[in-house]
Amino acid sequence: MKIGLEIHVQLPTRSKMFCSCPTTDAPAPNYHVCPVCLGMPGAKPVLNRQAMVYGIMLAKMLGCTVADTTWFSRKTYFYPDMSKSVQITQYDHPIGEKGVVYLGAKKKPIRITRIHLEEDPGKTKRTADHFALVDYNRSGIPLAEIVTEPDLATPAEAREFLGQLIQDIRHTIDLPEDGERSIRCDCNISVGRERVEVKNVTGMKNAERALTYEMIRQTKILKAGGKIERETRAFDETRGITYTARKKEFEADYGYIDEPDLGIFHIGELASTIRIKESPANMAARIADQYGIDQKAAKQLVSTSVELASFFEDVAKQYGTENAVKWVGGPVTANWKTMTEAGRSPRPVLDIIGRFAKGEITDTEAGIKIKSAMTGVDAKAAAQSSGDLDNLIKGFLDENPGIVDDYRKNEKAANRVIGFVLKQTGGKYTSAEVVDAAKRLISERL
Amino acid sequence: MIGEEALPRLKEINSKYQMFRAMTDDKDIGDSKFLFSAKDNLTSMDMETCSGSKILEGYHPVFDATPIANMRKAGGKLIGKTNMDEFGFGTFSTNSAFGIPRNPFDTNRSCGGSSGGSACAAAVIEDHVSIGVSTGGSVACPASFCGTYGIVPTYGRVSRYGLIDYGNSLDKPGLLSVDPKKLREYLPVISGKDPHDATSMCQPDLDLNSDRIKSVAVPKQALEGVSDDVTKAFNDALEILKGSGIDIEYVDMPELKYAMPAYYILATSEASTNLARYVGMRYGRQDGDMSKRFDDYFTEVRTGGFGVEAKRRILLGTYTRMEGFRDRYYAKALQVRLGVIEAYKKVFANHDAVLTPTMPFTSPKFSDIDKMTPVQNYQADFLTVPTNLSGTPHLNCPCGYDADGMPVGMQFVTDHWKENLLVNMAEDWDRMFEVRRAEVSL
Amino acid sequence: MDKETVVRVARTAHLALTDEEIERFSADLGEILDWFKVLDEAPGHEGVGVNPTPVSDVMRDDEPSQEYSQPELLKDMKTYDQYVRGPKLA
Repeated sequence: MKIGLEIHVQLPTRSKMFCSCPTTDAPAPNYHVCPVCLGMPGAKPVLNRQAMVYGIMLAKMLGCTVADTTWFSRKTYFYPDMSKSVQITQYDHPIGEKGVVYLGAKKKPIRITRIHLEEDPGKTKRTADHFALVDYNRSGIPLAEIVTEPDLATPAEAREFLGQLIQDIRHTIDLPEDGERSIRCDCNISVGRERVEVKNVTGMKNAERALTYEMIRQTKILKAGGKIERETRAFDETRGITYTARKKEFEADYGYIDEPDLGIFHIGELASTIRIKESPANMAARIADQYGIDQKAAKQLVSTSVELASFFEDVAKQYGTENAVKWVGGPVTANWKTMTEAGRSPRPVLDIIGRFAKGEITDTEAGIKIKSAMTGVDAKAAAQSSGDLDNLIKGFLDENPGIVDDYRKNEKAANRVIGFVLKQTGGKYTSAEVVDAAKRLISERL
Repeated sequence: MIGEEALPRLKEINSKYQMFRAMTDDKDIGDSKFLFSAKDNLTSMDMETCSGSKILEGYHPVFDATPIANMRKAGGKLIGKTNMDEFGFGTFSTNSAFGIPRNPFDTNRSCGGSSGGSACAAAVIEDHVSIGVSTGGSVACPASFCGTYGIVPTYGRVSRYGLIDYGNSLDKPGLLSVDPKKLREYLPVISGKDPHDATSMCQPDLDLNSDRIKSVAVPKQALEGVSDDVTKAFNDALEILKGSGIDIEYVDMPELKYAMPAYYILATSEASTNLARYVGMRYGRQDGDMSKRFDDYFTEVRTGGFGVEAKRRILLGTYTRMEGFRDRYYAKALQVRLGVIEAYKKVFANHDAVLTPTMPFTSPKFSDIDKMTPVQNYQADFLTVPTNLSGTPHLNCPCGYDADGMPVGMQFVTDHWKENLLVNMAEDWDRMFEVRRAEVSL
Repeated sequence: MDKETVVRVARTAHLALTDEEIERFSADLGEILDWFKVLDEAPGHEGVGVNPTPVSDVMRDDEPSQEYSQPELLKDMKTYDQYVRGPKLA
């Protein structure tokens, strides 16, 4: 089975792609509109620089070769929501081509065919008797379209890929948290030889659902000796099924030509001045590699927070990987959320780990000081509370020595301790703290 | 000076010549310093703008086209929107949905096109300047037929914001007047960078300094297929130019033969995408039956709203950019244009200007125009198309009259951004040659 | 241009043609395409041909602003509840 995706991402600019209308939610239909995005005769588009910058950032993130010279094209088709009956997009000279994304722990390469910029059309609503009511507020919202090669093997893998991609995109161009809503994709899937395209699926969950439905549908047809028809299908979110799309809606002869109103863009130089942040997926893979730690542990650090992962690197560089794993992987991770919510810096923690590394303080002292520095709880109280927590766990382990044996076989055995403590103490300790203490104390008895 | 009687007389003039599609209702000129008119494909807030097409009836733009806005800022009063071939599709202004402008020298003949109304207004109204638009010759042709000066500056010199697109990589606003001093006066007014039109943003400053054309190249290819009357007037004009000290050399420009097809492919390919927006929603005519499915509704409105020539060009342009034909036609035409530009640059290395007759014949009678096939019709533009394809500035100067007294024009083409040579040439020529004014009898 | 092609192109362009028009455009466009054949022998070019004079790197700042009011923009449109009305979708 081969799956390829065409992913549309809304770029978080403040104004539209070719006019100055705001991109924020409008108070009414056709409110954030102007002669340009309404396609009024005589109006002309002018490109928003930031849309280009975001496009280049994503091209770099995807490992694409950024074009030296790029320009736009006109795709002509007739639909009520397309105000000019022409969509400004990119055809034969996109911003970036030939990239690759390494998926998950196995680092499976997923090739990126291209990334290009284009404008969104407006939105069409149907009245009960099927008349179109059109809202052009979205007309001209900037989108990037990312096209992959058919390198994905299963619907689950497609979902994993989308999840990773969304996190990376969000991180690279500061997409708002609800960014998933603004990600739409066309899914191409072929179980046998013929390819079927499922158009306009919103979000990664639906992509997996649509692909799974298609996989089963196509497999059934092939098993029954039938033939898959090459076609475009649509996805019904509520019923979870795909269906043949009305041919006319998607089958058009777009007749691409260059867009002369915008001119061309020599982006080589601009691209060389744009530095992008490392994507979370790349960071996790690199940390695992560079410090020789488990992929899962590296991913855990990065998914807790990219800053935590950076802090891990700081500690590892100064005091060795062992201390980084012991302290950052343990109590620092456990208290990271509390620390950032309180607006504290991890800077003192670095010093504490340093003192431990030099042998100036003991294991227990370091643990207490770290907690105190991160949560703001006074050292004595922290010592007391951490002592209380340790004693509670120790007592439970004394009564149930079997847990330690079980833990050797399966780390999940620690859950019994954790469950007991959380129940006993109510909300006194965070679950991260309890997990950390339980694992530490069990490990001592191994 | 502007005569107080100017405005009331306009309606009378217009009923005879039909140069205006829309006119001001004002009775006096207020504080205005001068009067001007503009082609109906430039948006104006105070007058309906239809680009000669029924499909745009009822379009009241919310913004002025930049050249119109700039003329108003300079103290100009817009007196009317001039009649034109629908969307600029024509050589004789006979393809308008709103009547046909009449040639000031003979009302049975064409004004030329597609800025026919602008040339007519420039020829007939005292002390007048009109803004025209040229895509493939739509300023030079009517200027030639109506015996006026007409200048088209370099592509990108004048903002196209507010210009209802025909071919976006070809459209260029320009000026028409019988007084060459008006070209010098108003070209700087309409020129300049406009943040609303990206294609205007890369121009060098306009400097109408005193540099003059000292040598011209006449391509041999330009003299084939030209009528005897035009050839004679052109040769006489060459003698006058020689007498004024300008060198004249005949050159070979074989690339010109590719210019016509390349132009028609690019112009119609772009036009067919520009005209896709006219579907009976948002502006213009919206009187179709909306209970039809959208494809059918759009088809109904478009079929009823576009004239025959518009349909022909939409079909041609849709075909030349279709998958499977695009490489042979559209993509090739883009390449050919670059070749034609290079051919001009080669000539400009040794000459200041390329000079040809503007049109191969003088204004035909309407009865003869009806007999022409589309290809014959298109071929009438073979002298104006190459400069328009290459985006080079050009100028029509009246240079003679045929046996019926119809004007003959010659066309100077200079290198990109060298409008100064043309403006100076127009003024010099006006001292060497007596331009006849049409007699306006009402 | 053969008549089937004329019909196909017209459908793409959303134009309805009468039989007479199909006949006429088929002949016209055939003649025009014949005339275009000279292009096949024209030399190619490597350059970028979007505009006849260089237009490059024109971009505006990402500053939201609105110049026209909604009633002004919608004044000549058929609307319903501030939505622009269109024909049937199905």
